[in-house]
Amino acid sequence: MMRRLWPLAFITFKEGTRNKAFYGISLLAIVLMGASFFISGLVMRDVGKVAVDMAVSTVSFAGLLVVFFVGIDLMAKDLDKRTIYMVLARPISRQQYIIGKFVGISLLVVVTVFLLSVFAAISISTIKWANPDYFPRFSWGPVFLAEAFIALSLVLLSALSFLFASVSSTSFITMVLTILSYIIGQSLSSVKAIVESPQDITVSPVTVALVRAAYYIFPNLSLFDIKAQAAHSLAIPSAFIFWTVMYGLIYIVLVITFAALLFTKKEFP
Amino acid sequence: MDIINYSRVTKRYNSWPRGNKVLALDDFSLQIEQGEVFGFLGPNGAGKSTALKILLNFVYPSAGTVSLMGKSVSDRRARGLVGYLPENPYFYDYLTAKEILWFGGKASGLHKHEIHDRTDMLLDRMGLKASCERPLRTYSKGMVQRAGLALALVHNPEVVVLDEPMSGLDPIGRKLVGDLILELKSQGKTVFFSSHILTDVERFCDRAGILVGGRLRLVGSLKDLLSRAGSLEDIFMREVKTAEERMQ
Repeated sequence: MMRRLWPLAFITFKEGTRNKAFYGISLLAIVLMGASFFISGLVMRDVGKVAVDMAVSTVSFAGLLVVFFVGIDLMAKDLDKRTIYMVLARPISRQQYIIGKFVGISLLVVVTVFLLSVFAAISISTIKWANPDYFPRFSWGPVFLAEAFIALSLVLLSALSFLFASVSSTSFITMVLTILSYIIGQSLSSVKAIVESPQDITVSPVTVALVRAAYYIFPNLSLFDIKAQAAHSLAIPSAFIFWTVMYGLIYIVLVITFAALLFTKKEFP
Repeated sequence: MDIINYSRVTKRYNSWPRGNKVLALDDFSLQIEQGEVFGFLGPNGAGKSTALKILLNFVYPSAGTVSLMGKSVSDRRARGLVGYLPENPYFYDYLTAKEILWFGGKASGLHKHEIHDRTDMLLDRMGLKASCERPLRTYSKGMVQRAGLALALVHNPEVVVLDEPMSGLDPIGRKLVGDLILELKSQGKTVFFSSHILTDVERFCDRAGILVGGRLRLVGSLKDLLSRAGSLEDIFMREVKTAEERMQ
């Protein structure tokens, strides 16, 4: 199986790393991390928390841009410009195409997050060196974990973009649906908490049912956001780490399986 | 032995959201034998590309069956020994010709040394050796077409399917493709190609078929077809006119 998938995953990864948008986003992230050195100098308290929060947020933001502007483009261009012909003319099934392409894009996302995390570590270390008093209980563990969770949530988001690409006719629709899923996934947990225990407002049972249904359909991306814990160097329970990783992996497998099933029905006239 | 077999194939495209159905192929049957060079003729929108895309399993027939070397085209293994050049090929912008040939060879199960040898030979043959490390987005239309041909042939396929292979080529490129088709023929390969250029079909093909409005109006050996009229052009114009009158 991997023998067939690897060539496609590899050229997808290679094409992604040569995309100009990829360099632009990486450069932006590095500039933002450099800027955090000066910004933290302007903050007179909690410099350590601000530095970690800014560095991890930059990794998350740049990774998100890579998913939206490079990842979706890699998949969508295959469909829009029919580069998919050069792949499907080989003894590669549509399911293998989806998995191979997904592996390539996931690899791109993980490598991007890893490289940005290196710059984030440099940025935090520099600020820590300049302001050691503001890092009394600092620990790298929660920072690296937050970055690993960012990578997992971005891979999950990429999987969703594959699902949307399997049913939509243009890359624009795929991008809009992916961005909407991201916004919903980030806020749904809070919305659910509000509608289930409303204070000073009346929420109809239909709204509660709709929010609950959406909660179980859309991924709970806020679960992967542990920036605050990383900034405060709080310990993360092992059970939380285990179940969050399981949740992410199971969600990815389900979405990619569903995308592959839908993709078998798709035609490329 | 029939290498390619279309049996009563019909293809309708749904035009969403209006729900209109476009009939691209209508009860289309065609058999192509091993070692044959078959020319597929027809005006624009006749259904030639649809027939080729069904063979590659890019689109599915609404009715009928299609097989390649005895295997249903829905079986991915059927494509293992087929090389395909799409009309107006488009490749990954930032990859080089060498890299897409590596992909083609690897995905078709070739060994490292085979990929190396075939890539070297084909890039040289297609006149792309000097530019093989350049990204494909810097290529001219003719160079992309030649890179596409190299990709179609990298795994030394038994069947070569070419959709308008002369499209966008200058006279040198056309001569190169023509020579290539004749070479494939001499090697006993089966070549199935669509074209608008009637003289090319006359030069290279053993048999030809004329498709109009999704129906195969005429099929036969070049010798038989030419014995009916003076030139392929006369036959083509007559068949298209007759078919259009019938459709009205």
